Amino acid sequence: MIVLTLKEQPNVPLEAETVSPDVFASHTLDEIRSLPVYLGKRERRVDDFFGVDGDAGDEIEIRGDATRVKWIGKGMTRGRITIVGHAGMHLGAQMKGGTIEVSGNVGDWLGAEMSGGFIRVRGNAGGQVGAAYRGSLTGMTDGTVLIDGSAGLEVGMRMKRGTIVVGGAARDFTGLQMKGGTIVLRGGAELRTGAWMIRGTIISLKPIPLLPTFAYASTYNPTFMRLYARHLGALGIDIPHDEQQGAYQRYTGDASVPGKGEILVWEKH
Amino acid sequence: MGGKITCTLGEVKNRADFIVYWGGNPAECHPRHFSKYTLTQKGKFVPEGRKGRTMVLVDIRETPSAKAADIFLQIRPGKDFEVATTLRALVKGHPVDRKRVEETGQTVEQLQDIADRMKRARFGVIFFGMGLSMTRGKHMNSGAILTLTAELNAFTKFVCMPMRGHGNVTGSDMVLRWTTGYPFGVNLSRGYPRFNPGEFSTVDLIVRGDNDAALILGADPGATMPQPGIDHLARIPTIVLDPKVTHTSRLARVHITTAATGISAPGTAYRMDEIPLPLRPALKSPYPTDEAVIRRIRKAVASQIS
Amino acid sequence: MIRITGGKVYDPTNGLDGAIKDICVADGRVVADVEGGRTIDATGMVVFPGGVDIHTHVAGAALNFARGLTPENMRRALPFKHTSELRAGLGGITPTTFATGYLYAGMGWTTVNEAAVPVLSARHTHEELHDTPIVDKSCLVLMANNEIVLDLLEAGEVERAKHVVAWLISAAKAYGVKAVNPGGVTAWKWGKNANKLSEPVEGYSRVTPAMIIASLGAIIDELALPHPLHIHCNCLGVPGNFATTLETMKVLEGRRAHFAHLQFHAYGGDDWPTMRSEAASLAEYFNAHKNFTTDAGAVLFGDAVTITADGPWQHQLYQLTGHKWGNLDVENETGCGIVPYVYKESRLVNALQWAVGLELLLLIDDPWRVYLTTDHPNGACFWRYPELIHLLMNADARKEALKRLPEEARKRIVLSELDRQYTLSEIAIITSAGPARALGLTRKGHLGVGADADLTVYQENPDGDLQFEYPRYVIKGGEVVIEEGEIRSVVEGRQYIVQPAYDEKIEEFLRPLFQKVYTMSFDNYPVELERIRRPDIHICK
Repeated sequence: MIVLTLKEQPNVPLEAETVSPDVFASHTLDEIRSLPVYLGKRERRVDDFFGVDGDAGDEIEIRGDATRVKWIGKGMTRGRITIVGHAGMHLGAQMKGGTIEVSGNVGDWLGAEMSGGFIRVRGNAGGQVGAAYRGSLTGMTDGTVLIDGSAGLEVGMRMKRGTIVVGGAARDFTGLQMKGGTIVLRGGAELRTGAWMIRGTIISLKPIPLLPTFAYASTYNPTFMRLYARHLGALGIDIPHDEQQGAYQRYTGDASVPGKGEILVWEKH
Repeated sequence: MGGKITCTLGEVKNRADFIVYWGGNPAECHPRHFSKYTLTQKGKFVPEGRKGRTMVLVDIRETPSAKAADIFLQIRPGKDFEVATTLRALVKGHPVDRKRVEETGQTVEQLQDIADRMKRARFGVIFFGMGLSMTRGKHMNSGAILTLTAELNAFTKFVCMPMRGHGNVTGSDMVLRWTTGYPFGVNLSRGYPRFNPGEFSTVDLIVRGDNDAALILGADPGATMPQPGIDHLARIPTIVLDPKVTHTSRLARVHITTAATGISAPGTAYRMDEIPLPLRPALKSPYPTDEAVIRRIRKAVASQIS
Repeated sequence: MIRITGGKVYDPTNGLDGAIKDICVADGRVVADVEGGRTIDATGMVVFPGGVDIHTHVAGAALNFARGLTPENMRRALPFKHTSELRAGLGGITPTTFATGYLYAGMGWTTVNEAAVPVLSARHTHEELHDTPIVDKSCLVLMANNEIVLDLLEAGEVERAKHVVAWLISAAKAYGVKAVNPGGVTAWKWGKNANKLSEPVEGYSRVTPAMIIASLGAIIDELALPHPLHIHCNCLGVPGNFATTLETMKVLEGRRAHFAHLQFHAYGGDDWPTMRSEAASLAEYFNAHKNFTTDAGAVLFGDAVTITADGPWQHQLYQLTGHKWGNLDVENETGCGIVPYVYKESRLVNALQWAVGLELLLLIDDPWRVYLTTDHPNGACFWRYPELIHLLMNADARKEALKRLPEEARKRIVLSELDRQYTLSEIAIITSAGPARALGLTRKGHLGVGADADLTVYQENPDGDLQFEYPRYVIKGGEVVIEEGEIRSVVEGRQYIVQPAYDEKIEEFLRPLFQKVYTMSFDNYPVELERIRRPDIHICK
């Protein structure tokens, strides 16, 4: 495992897309130290900011408050990044495979436009988790993002496949223009959840405000929920599906599109 | 996917028989809009002038513009997105939830009436202001109006336009687009243009403290920016170019007085409909133009680097 | 001063078909001989006159609208990093202005004609052209939906219409006149279109598309503009439109006219499922009528952005694709629509479009009358021209490409029967000599003494096509601008403008009318000549 220890917070954002298992795997520690990172308009070296130790390979551990370090793990296809601390914007953006784990918080655009892989954040995430970049038609197309804490605006915007789970509350526009995939909101969400969604499923374990363009369809316990619960249960995430305890209210929309998405809201008996 | 369906202001003057102002108060903020472009002018195809036009005002409170309106739609604060999205469904004949519609301050019948009038219009236009685009939902509120407008064109002719203010903001948008490909929030630090609103847009960048210097031209963020942004500008080297001393000048390290563009300096301004207007200076100024100052700074920096 | 020695020169205007000849350059022109200066050894290379793009969209309100509408494309575009000599920018589907100059020059094209300019925003177009380096530039002003002109035609005041047209050309600082979907764009302002050439346009009782076309054709000839009416026919892009195109040609019979992006107007069939190529029937008519020129408007598979003043078509395309849609109607004059689009090999309609462009280029027998374009960025980006050249010069490459098309598409085209292969001389004609002649740019498109020293040197490749993507040298106005694949110097291009004659009193007619139907002051309307940095004015007659 390669261990990067942040020496000090950069004074302006540091762009570090080279910090990725795909890039590091083919280099010795000395070569890794000299890889470029970008501090504002200046090109610098990895070891200007990070202590680099450990054994070469495709596993990376980053220690420290990397809140200002952007693009870690961009487009990665394999290996593992463990962040003991925080990370900045675009963590795991466009990733295709591999695993990212973060003990602290992350900035906006976590896993944006990812097409595979697994991300787990123990703290909070910013906005646009798994989202499409501005103007793009499609957000994440596969993979899993688990956030224990809260998340910001536009979680899963235009996502097509894959799963996002938010443990705390999400802010506005969760599942905006969603085309498929699943978002689980364990702590509910603020306004406009599922706005303009075309397809896909949003599951909320807490009551959430709905747009006028969602229609109540039924109250039930979908059979797929049991499969889902087993799948997420293996990751330590509990999804209720017991008829004795309650049921899901199913809403369909967004009628303004018109879309065939669904929002399932858990209601205890 | 929506998009942007718009026109120049003369189209509105000549053709519009249905005019919606949404989240704006033109009577006070764009006082000549009614008389020059939208309401009282006799248009080529609206020869009866004001009588040939219906005006709707959508706002959260009754502003002086309401007096000019035929229909005033008062909606609850923060419900613009809900109302516009409901209209999208109603225009296309899709069902909406009665109770949740009423949370917007309007009934389904009231909104259905507006939807029907929009579809019946010969040439409709929505002008949307900062009451829409700068409140909760921001770009998505604008997006809702843009999409509603695009979809209305399946039934009749409909266009929309943001009511932009503050000097030549449209001009900056235009020039940035042709030089960098993007309208605002452009970052050149990697040597070529990149765009990401929220990350690189000025207010977000300064509030997060992502920059270590600032050159402020034709704007006064010190008057409008949230306090953390103002504190940051005061902390870092900030340089202001402005004909007058602004709020930002007071917290800047350097203020350079320049000639006022349009009064003492020539150039081009772009109207809110992206039509370029030549500026012909009427007065002489003892101060240099913004352009001259920037060129001198650039030259001085270049000579220091080489 | 430069001497290019040892190269095979392709200069069809002057009858040179690969002869080895020294080309000498001094003071920006081709001269008979030079003493001293730089010598470029072009042994094993070929020398072409610099490319001339007769129909492209590189500057102005519509293109700038498209840039703003498609950040997802810009993000994937080729980045141009700023250096002490070069400005930053982005290539891609709708390149930024500086990148546009670098990309055209980098490919060996040295003159471009921006094909759609509203008078009302012409000042904006010129600001962008001002920021487009290296290449020489010209632009065409939109006229076939100008309601002041149409109202005069309705009233039968053709003579006055002529003076108005001349005044408008002059106000826009344009080089010629473009007619887009005559009558259809003004009808679009009521959500309608103009599909029948002989039916009155929405809002008029006498004016028909045919009348607009005939009148503008006559006016332009009377004004003696160097470039004839540049026409984008009605019914662009829809099955069965070849009949409208033929009808338009008949309206213009006996006159000069340039038919823009003919590919988009050469479809048969009654609807999308029955669409087929009618390139052969159009080419047959066209071959027999020597008064016409055309450009291909060819399609290549991949990303594009459709940008056209044809608003109704764009609404239809938006409804077909469900993609983004931009529309900008310009008071009294025109409008534009923008829809991003992806041409897919596997899609029947796109496969037909791809074939139709090539068929026209192969079936029109006189290369002097058909020019290489993609109607950038509508059919493909201009920087993909080398791919088209490869297909034109290589029948086998076309056959390979045909195999990838849906079988159904192959039944509805004639491309597989066409074995013609363009020669280098013919490529020089369709990319340079021909379009320069059609534009009336007498110092462009050839390498005779007195010509502008705009030329491109390619490495000769005895085994196959030239590497048209990578010229060895590009010389613009006598300066070496590209060498070894790098931009060596950034020169400033000229701008071609025409000055047709008009009765000065026409302003007395226009001023009160203008105050009534426009929203800017009459005095602010014309673009000031001082705003054009290197104007090259052609006085008509």
